[in-house]
Amino acid sequence: MLILAFDTATDVATSALVSDGEVLGERRSRAVTVLEDIDALLRQAGAHTRELEGIAVGIGPGSFTGVRIGLATARGLALALGVPVAGVSTLDALAAGALGALPVVDARRGEVFVLEDEPRVLAPAELRPSPGTLCVGSGAVRYRSVLEAAGAEIPADQDERHVPRARFHAQLARDFGPAEAVEPMYLRVPDADKTRK
Amino acid sequence: MILGIETSCDETAAAVITPDGRILSNVVSSQADLHARYGGVVPEVASRRHLELVTPVVQEALRDSGTTLDDVDLVGVTAGPGLIGALLVGVAAAKAIAWARRLPLAAVDHLQGHVASLYLEPDPVEPPFLCLLASGGHTMLLDVQERNGKPRVLGATLDDAAGEAFDKGARLLGFGYPGGAELDHVARNGDPSAYAFPVARVPGLDFSFSGLKTALLYAVRKLTAEEGERRRADLAASYQRAIVRALVERTRQAAEQIGATRIAVVGGVAANSELRAALAEARAAPLALCTDNAAMIASAARFSNPIHYPGYLGLDAYASTA
Ligand SMILES: Nc1ncnc2c1ncn2[C@@H]1O[C@H](COP(=O)(O)OP(=O)(O)OP(=O)(O)O)[C@@H](O)[C@H]1O
Ligand SMILES: [Mg+2]
Repeated sequence: MLILAFDTATDVATSALVSDGEVLGERRSRAVTVLEDIDALLRQAGAHTRELEGIAVGIGPGSFTGVRIGLATARGLALALGVPVAGVSTLDALAAGALGALPVVDARRGEVFVLEDEPRVLAPAELRPSPGTLCVGSGAVRYRSVLEAAGAEIPADQDERHVPRARFHAQLARDFGPAEAVEPMYLRVPDADKTRK
Repeated sequence: MILGIETSCDETAAAVITPDGRILSNVVSSQADLHARYGGVVPEVASRRHLELVTPVVQEALRDSGTTLDDVDLVGVTAGPGLIGALLVGVAAAKAIAWARRLPLAAVDHLQGHVASLYLEPDPVEPPFLCLLASGGHTMLLDVQERNGKPRVLGATLDDAAGEAFDKGARLLGFGYPGGAELDHVARNGDPSAYAFPVARVPGLDFSFSGLKTALLYAVRKLTAEEGERRRADLAASYQRAIVRALVERTRQAAEQIGATRIAVVGGVAANSELRAALAEARAAPLALCTDNAAMIASAARFSNPIHYPGYLGLDAYASTA
């Protein structure tokens, strides 16, 4: 099965083309340019859009706008190509890329998204990792001092385990189906005090 | 065919038009009800809703038009100005559709979209003309010389937009959000000369509406709740008269200044019955095309320079024109 996978929920957008488990290519950029990467992945693999059989998309949690760019892209592709879509949690993909690690994504406003038993949003200080817990992700990098003081171990800032890698989205993708059934994971209600008029 | 997509504010819209400007479908899903309880558009709420609706609305537009994507030769999408998070949903979906089909993409300016509502069949307007664009976020006088390219801005509002003035006034009078259309409706039973609401005269061809709502506020405050209720139609009619007068006066002044022989009115406020009557010499956009829709975006796409594959893959949205 030829799967196109991408996740634009965090600052680093990731995309990969995976054929029956074999990673044909993987790229990084930003949410707004993820289609440039997707285009390059297909060209490099000599694949045509018609050959795509499934789309695996990151559903967050992460930046609300980033999550939506990913899902709107997936839905547009599904509509135009008639391919099924599967949603993959950004936290699950991070965890799959760093076995045994606790994924911690920067949620802005002094909070982080984490995967404890289920995805949650909380202040870094509320996260009490048991000593020696490996923490990865943009939140682990940003709140390194807090988390290390609590006993966590955090790889160097440049370590690739800190960013989601779309090969893992392709690996984790299950239940491909209608694109509109794949919903974003926001974990926060909208800020209603900010109206435009 | 041209597929248009619009998600700049609180309407998720898609439309299909023919290469010669006939509307085959025009689907608008308004979120007004969703935002009414906040008294205005909440950007994050709007963006979430756009994501839920954008592809279903595109599918409905294709279905209604009796065409499929195989018939589409160009995709037009609003790239700005508007709410950035909302715009990005439409832009991402449009880019994906265009890329998947190797179609060209037109990045449409929302305001040029409003002007292009005049270019659709069956009765298109031919430039040159002076255009009053009065909407929820903008009030401008434009010197439109040709169908493509940016028109020259002759004047604009210094504070509130005309639609915003309608909505704020409507709110003071107890109408729901957005109240422009309801105020228009209620004003028909009122006396427009009951109250004298002054509109600030600013130099040049600009507008200022912010003082107006204060005048209305004072007038409303002087009344008991029961009086306010009884005089609501008079207040609405007088308030509307003041806005319409200012719009008409400045528009005629601008037409004279540039020697325009034709005048047109577009944007949500162009739906106002008093404005349409008062500017009888002007061509007003068809009622269904005044407030946000995607037929006008497809129409603007028709007269734009489309971006060919792969030039649009990194296309971004913009919140303001500045
Ligand atoms: N009959 C009417 N009388 C007065 N105002 C009206 C009427 N119908 C709609 N409006 C007003 O038009 C505005 C909406 O217009 P439109 O959809 O063009 O604006 P927008 O897209 O929100 O703003 P912009 O186009 O500037 O980004 C609202 O302010 C609404 O109250
Ligand atoms: Mg508008």
